[in-house]
Amino acid sequence: MAARDARSWAVRLRDVHRVYSRSGAPVPALRGIDVDVAEGEFTAIMGPSGSGKSTLLHILGLVDTDYEGSYEFCGRRVSGFSSDELAPVRNREIGFVFQAFHLLPQLSILDNAALPALYARDRTREDCFDTARARLEEMGLGDRLEHKPTELSIGQRQRAAIARSLVNRPRVLLADEPTGALDSKTAQEIMDILGELHLRGSTLILITHDREVAESAERVIHVRDGQIHDGVA
Amino acid sequence: MARYTTEWLKQLLSFAWDGLAGQRGRSALTVLGMAIGTASVVVVVSIGLVGRDYVVSLIEGVGSNLVFAYGTGDGINPEELDFADVDVLRNEVPGISGIAPVLDESVTISVRGQPRPLTVLGTTPSYADVRNMLVEWGRFHTEREDANGEKVVLLSKELADKLYGGAPPAGETLRLFDLRFQIIGVFREGVESAAAVNRSEVSGLTVIVPFETLRNVSPVRDIDVVYMQAVSPSAVPAVVQRVRDIIASRHRNIENFKVESLEQYLVLAEKVSSALTAVLIAIAAVSLLVGGIGIMNIMLVTVSERTRDIGIRLALGARRRDILIQFLMEAGILSVLGGTLGILLGAGGPLWAGAAYDMPVPISLLSVIVALAVALFVGLFFGIVPARRASDMNVVDALAYE
Ligand SMILES: Nc1ncnc2c1ncn2[C@@H]1O[C@H](COP(=O)(O)OP(=O)(O)OP(=O)(O)O)[C@@H](O)[C@H]1O
Ligand SMILES: [Mg+2]
Repeated sequence: MAARDARSWAVRLRDVHRVYSRSGAPVPALRGIDVDVAEGEFTAIMGPSGSGKSTLLHILGLVDTDYEGSYEFCGRRVSGFSSDELAPVRNREIGFVFQAFHLLPQLSILDNAALPALYARDRTREDCFDTARARLEEMGLGDRLEHKPTELSIGQRQRAAIARSLVNRPRVLLADEPTGALDSKTAQEIMDILGELHLRGSTLILITHDREVAESAERVIHVRDGQIHDGVA
Repeated sequence: MARYTTEWLKQLLSFAWDGLAGQRGRSALTVLGMAIGTASVVVVVSIGLVGRDYVVSLIEGVGSNLVFAYGTGDGINPEELDFADVDVLRNEVPGISGIAPVLDESVTISVRGQPRPLTVLGTTPSYADVRNMLVEWGRFHTEREDANGEKVVLLSKELADKLYGGAPPAGETLRLFDLRFQIIGVFREGVESAAAVNRSEVSGLTVIVPFETLRNVSPVRDIDVVYMQAVSPSAVPAVVQRVRDIIASRHRNIENFKVESLEQYLVLAEKVSSALTAVLIAIAAVSLLVGGIGIMNIMLVTVSERTRDIGIRLALGARRRDILIQFLMEAGILSVLGGTLGILLGAGGPLWAGAAYDMPVPISLLSVIVALAVALFVGLFFGIVPARRASDMNVVDALAYE
């Protein structure tokens, strides 16, 4: 325990509740969750469908702010941040791979992948596109740069989404089933890339149903019915 | 705002352009809707202005700032204006730039063997100006010809056509009062509107000879009417009053005479045109409203799509301002394109038609400005309101928006 305390925390959630209430009866998706992930740690989140994994990851990724409880991201209490304060954190420090990818349909995957770099506003346009191109090439999409997402297979879209999430070299990468749509060979390639990222010091939190993927993680968090069941393997 | 460099604004503009290009159909429909709305405003206002100008020109075409006096010939003891009256009016009415007394005699001439009634008007050279007569061919008679009582004559267009089949009657003569008159010109009304306000003594078969000539060769002694041209519209009432006073002082009963101007008709025209304008403004408002609702519909249809778009951009780290500026630019591009196209259609159509029919078409600058402003407002409003709402949303809600 003492060794862990010496490290700094990437994310710390305390007593987080999330209730969906937009339509119909309120659905309590997260019911008092505490999560601590150290910087540089590789964590897998597992759990049955509908247990609240994506909900949790959205909160960690600062795209869902409708929650109760406190959230500390890399030492800052982001649960009190305004939307303008959250934007640069999302942009530069977090990479997010959505379960549904969320690529802009009217843009090429190169344009899509360049967006986080462009919104960072600290590089020239050329730099942004060079980086985006490099990430896409690493994902094996070098010959598909000008294609629209709809012109790609599901697996290719997933790789484009991963490339986009890596463009700004985030401290924390959050991925919602990043290998869900891939065959085992491609899945392994993706995991190799993510593993390399981890070796270089990035914090990795990913949701997976795949036992093999979970085994490559240092730690597994089990979510069930909106609560954490840690240590249950 | 200091950090909004040109570079970044350019980048946002390129995002805006991507947004529009990504939805060509919607963009085109929006531009079209806006163009039609703008065009209809410009066209409707132009139609109103053409109508108004037409009515006013009809009245003014009879003779601008015209004042005329005549004996009514009614009553128990009718009186008419005489030569002495003309001299007094000529010398004692200030504020007139021309005076044209008219003597009127009816004779019979033979046209292709047929006897036809002919009106002979004797008047001064000022008549052409005061009554807005156009000399189609030749010239009007001069002061000198009038003073000398020379036997020169101008034919009405209708008579010239009947006698000479449209060919210029150069060197021809006309027999009147058993004398040979040299034909020096052919005339017609400046506008075809004098009849409309009952002031055309030159319709039909008519000739004009110098005032003094007719006085010499014919027994007619009563002045049919005296036309005077006031120097300006504001001088008209004073001229009317002065003429009335002079006639009253020289005759038994002023009630036997009428002194009039076209003011009453202009007042009427003004009333008609302002009623017309009000109707047109109402129509224009309706067409703008319809155009606006069309744009709103198109915008609303794609709100869900745009909301997801905004959600993705926010998730990737765009700030609220970045989104708003991008959408402001999108809406601005659409509005300016639509508005400009609308003005081209709305102004170009009437101008083209005007050129084709050789008619001056006034394009109201105000209508163009108003139409453009409204197009811009409608476009920005319906572009920005959904963008504002979406950028205020919780990002995952925007991502999942349906
Ligand atoms: N927008 C929403 N509105 C209402 N309920 C929601 C919404 N999103 C998720 N839920 C509910 O919250 C619960 C948790 O959903 P979540 O998406 O986090 O599950 P998950 O663990 O990611 O499942 P899966 O493995 O299928 O992706 C589910 O019961 C789901 O129905
Ligand atoms: Mg999920």
